[in-house]
Amino acid sequence: MTDARSAPGTTPPAHPVKAPATGAVPEGLPPDAGRRLAELEDRPGHKGMFTSDLSVNEFLLIKEVGFHPLGFVMGSSIYHLGIQTRRWSQSQELSKLTEAMYEARQLAMDRMDAEATELGADGVVGVRLDVNYYEWGSDTAEFIAVGTAVKAEDGRSYRNRQGKPFTSDLSGQDFWVLMQTGHVPLGLVMGTCVYHIAHRGLGQTLRSTGRNVELPNFTQALYEARELAMTRMQDEANELGATGIVGVRLEEKSHMWGDHTIEFLSLGTAVASSEGDHSIPQPRTIISLDG
Amino acid sequence: MTLRDQVRQAVTAVASPTTAKGHTGSARGTTSDLTIDETLLLHSAGWEPVDLVYGISWWSIPWGVWQWATGEVQEASAAFTGAAEHAAKQLRQACEQAGGSGVLGVEVGVRVSSHHVSIELTGTAVRRIDAESHRFEFVSDLSARDFVLLTRAGWWPLGLATGASFVVAPRRTAREWASQQGQNIELPNLTQALYLARERAMERMQRSGATMKADGIVAVKLREGRASSSVRVIQFVAIGTGVHLRTAAHRPIAPEMVVPLDEVVRAFDVKSLRSAGGE
Repeated sequence: MTDARSAPGTTPPAHPVKAPATGAVPEGLPPDAGRRLAELEDRPGHKGMFTSDLSVNEFLLIKEVGFHPLGFVMGSSIYHLGIQTRRWSQSQELSKLTEAMYEARQLAMDRMDAEATELGADGVVGVRLDVNYYEWGSDTAEFIAVGTAVKAEDGRSYRNRQGKPFTSDLSGQDFWVLMQTGHVPLGLVMGTCVYHIAHRGLGQTLRSTGRNVELPNFTQALYEARELAMTRMQDEANELGATGIVGVRLEEKSHMWGDHTIEFLSLGTAVASSEGDHSIPQPRTIISLDG
Repeated sequence: MTLRDQVRQAVTAVASPTTAKGHTGSARGTTSDLTIDETLLLHSAGWEPVDLVYGISWWSIPWGVWQWATGEVQEASAAFTGAAEHAAKQLRQACEQAGGSGVLGVEVGVRVSSHHVSIELTGTAVRRIDAESHRFEFVSDLSARDFVLLTRAGWWPLGLATGASFVVAPRRTAREWASQQGQNIELPNLTQALYLARERAMERMQRSGATMKADGIVAVKLREGRASSSVRVIQFVAIGTGVHLRTAAHRPIAPEMVVPLDEVVRAFDVKSLRSAGGE
């Protein structure tokens, strides 16, 4: 986990020459983004500052585990989603839409990563992924990733094996607990699957009318879609060399495709145990006297 | 004096607590929108609420800027900055008038219509219990709870850092539109325009933090949505509290892990048990 860019005490070499705020900007970022980030950093004659969307609790807990917030970072992408024909009576994955949903989120996250790297961060905590739809864009959606870039105060590098800052959708509180229990986050992992669920034929509908029966085609379709999304998420975690994924959420949304097409998105934070022995402190039980 | 200035002055005169009669904190009891818990907590840290204070500012936007603008709507952004600064000044005056040295729990109301931007700040003025004189120290949208926690760690709020930007989403040409149909493709000009607008809102917030010499801005909230009557105009507003470290180093707060037993207790309903038992 040694990385020249985040060695103790050294600032990334790109910054001192970044005064005109162009050139050193990562690919895909508008020049103004570089300017905002440059203003956050300490330079001779310029006092830097940090920005963070963490609440006061989260801010203090992040400090408690030895990290300092560097800046509020974000990435976004407005993406035009392709069209794929669906067969009325066939359950299938819509691979083109799956690709679109995955790639657009990846673009947004890569830009957020680029902003964090620009600040010399070890990681990004409290990452949120959002999708916006605007009235003026048919078949388009805006994918956004925001979070707070943090850096370890002891100079140790917490970057993951790809040399990138770790990302995590855990809150400040969860991050604190995670570190207490001897784990480090490696990255936000996700898997997605856009699935078209077959309509039932007339015969099927008639056969099941008034009866208690399982509907195998619906069950199977939803089952498979969820499995696909979760498998993809696990594959990402394996690539990072994770020992586990925590805080997994499975979201199901139809976005703009109507009833029978659903996106299954699974998200979680890949973690690994850190070196050294950790004893999990025994939590105290309390009863609050609120109403 | 232009008509605009006259109207502004009239509005200010109505809104300003300095001209409102009988609104002096020392002459009557305290008013605050803090909860009992928060008041108690504040007292434990040596502070007390004084009065409910507010600062309001309306800033006009010239006619037609939304219709003809492409890219960023500079006039609207300038109006926001003006209104935010003025409202903060009003709030500070109101706080000093009430004999407070800081304002906590400030609610920030931002309204943008086609012809004006209005900003309303409402919060509770607080002061140190044992201090002789009350020098003005801070404005913050943090709750009393957050304030106590933050100061315990050595950090102090300074003021509200705000920034906004308004952008007209660019249109796609017919050719672009046609070439994108059915494709999985990123729209670079739209992405860049909105990216830039978000970054600008945050950059302005940072600058406003830098002018108060803050070490950082915490609890940043980025609000976005439609502005004015046109669907293509999008507003980004970033608000946070500028903080600075007063002690030599950050003081750890040493939290402890607890398991609250509340929910279990709540789920156990004695009444339902009684009816089930047939008593």
